[in-house]
Amino acid sequence: MKRISKLTLAGALTLAAVPAYAAGTANGVYTEAQAAEGAAVFAERCAMCHGKQAEGTWEVPALKGKFMGNWGRESLAALSDYLARAMPQFAPGTLEPKDNGRLVAYLLKINGHPAGAKPLPEDHAALAAIRIDPLAATAVK
Amino acid sequence: MSRQNWYPQANLARREMLRGGAALGAVGALSACSAGKVASAGPAPRRPYLTPMRVTPDQLIDMKCCIRPVRAAGPNLGTQMIGDTLVVHNYGHGGSGWSLSWGSAEVAVGKALSVLPSEIAVVGCGIIGLTTAVVAQRAGLKVTIYTRDVIQRTRSFRAHGSFTPDSRVALSAPAGAGFGDLWEQMTRLSWKGFRSMLGLPGDPVVFQDAYALSDAPPVKKHHDADPAIKGAWEPGGLPLQESEWAHFMDRIKDLVPDPVMLPTAENPFPVAYTRRSSEMHFNFPSYAHHLLTEFYQHGGLMVMRDFNDPSQYGQLKEKVVINATGYAARDLWRDKTVFPVRGQTGWLVPQHDAPYSLRYKNASLMAKNDGIVVMNNPIDLGEMFGVGDSMELADPAPILEVMKIVEPIMAGMKGIA
Repeated sequence: MKRISKLTLAGALTLAAVPAYAAGTANGVYTEAQAAEGAAVFAERCAMCHGKQAEGTWEVPALKGKFMGNWGRESLAALSDYLARAMPQFAPGTLEPKDNGRLVAYLLKINGHPAGAKPLPEDHAALAAIRIDPLAATAVK
Repeated sequence: MSRQNWYPQANLARREMLRGGAALGAVGALSACSAGKVASAGPAPRRPYLTPMRVTPDQLIDMKCCIRPVRAAGPNLGTQMIGDTLVVHNYGHGGSGWSLSWGSAEVAVGKALSVLPSEIAVVGCGIIGLTTAVVAQRAGLKVTIYTRDVIQRTRSFRAHGSFTPDSRVALSAPAGAGFGDLWEQMTRLSWKGFRSMLGLPGDPVVFQDAYALSDAPPVKKHHDADPAIKGAWEPGGLPLQESEWAHFMDRIKDLVPDPVMLPTAENPFPVAYTRRSSEMHFNFPSYAHHLLTEFYQHGGLMVMRDFNDPSQYGQLKEKVVINATGYAARDLWRDKTVFPVRGQTGWLVPQHDAPYSLRYKNASLMAKNDGIVVMNNPIDLGEMFGVGDSMELADPAPILEVMKIVEPIMAGMKGIA
């Protein structure tokens, strides 16, 4: 029990140091329709490097599995900004803002985060308030 | 592995040149001559210089036997909860464990990463467990291996150890249409993993020439179903015939070099037909050394222990556990979909001046750092050989039998034309 309280304390300190998240991806922050649109964008703009199943290669990062190791506990705004800024690598900055959001939805879906009733917000502040949650152990397939 | 005898003519020319001016003059004279005469005849046919392997019975220094852990549906990469512990499975790779090790580890570690653990456990320290542990460390995780044996005493060390990624990896029907894509993903990733180990000290991974010898023109093997055999694999059972096995090598044709038939003038063996291909293999002692060294350098911890029941996974302090127990999973996890396919190897004294592989009739020989590995694989039985057989004691008789078949081949080898 002592250990748990220490962890709680550490968690509280961390929370104090970074902006508090209003929501997490475990709560269903995108819609199935957005993810389906994202799949089409992915097939056209991303799959040639990251693989049809987003499986990656030895050189190119997989966008599932290891992806969570890279992006877990970050905000959706950080992920969205990165896509907008740096992807696709051969033509960075060319994703339409709307497609960018669809891709975020698709990436959440293929990494096991549930869809919900509301679409992903488009404004930056709202995305910054959503954390990419670790999956619950029972959700790992 | 020394290759200094590989091109003896080139070595000879180099020695001549080193002798100085007089020899250089002679080379010059030869060049002038070849411009007019020799060049028009094309390059003279040349047999590759190969040292015959010593295959007499006294050379047999070791016998090993192991069971391939085959699952009809392919390796188990699924997940399950034991109490509050997430178990990610990574076992049941048939005859493809070494070959799929990097790719399969990537899949399992990816699943483990999705709950963002800082540390994980790996159960088992065969080639799958140890590779998985290293891949997890490379992804930033702290890893403890729990195992009853270190890799040198596992079944992985009793394998053949060559790149055969679709060897008894699954049966087509139960594996389903989707497995091919996963297989290809794991195979391509593994290929890159092996490429990254080529040329390391001790040659953990090696490419070498392999010769397939035959008295009649070689024919491509087909796996047509025998209509006389009724039925097929059923859950908990065994395949009934060879056509049930899945084959995927066509998917990686772009990676694997094509075989070529040797013209008679270049055939060093006393048979009518010799086909040369490139094979890639793994030298167990140095491969294990490299992986273990990396594991410990990353701060890995190895705990020696056995498990009798899956519930014990839930008692580990790590709440994410990758289960890489190979054939042992059949008993430990009561997974009766794992069935045994026995294989055994004989090991001849290492012969570093004969770095090649050879197949003739039922005999298969492959020179490795720790010995020439000999197998007796009955061609008629193909991948059905050993199915359902869990006798893990070695029997030297079939190995000695094929050594006898190969003996006259070695005695009749021709030198340079």
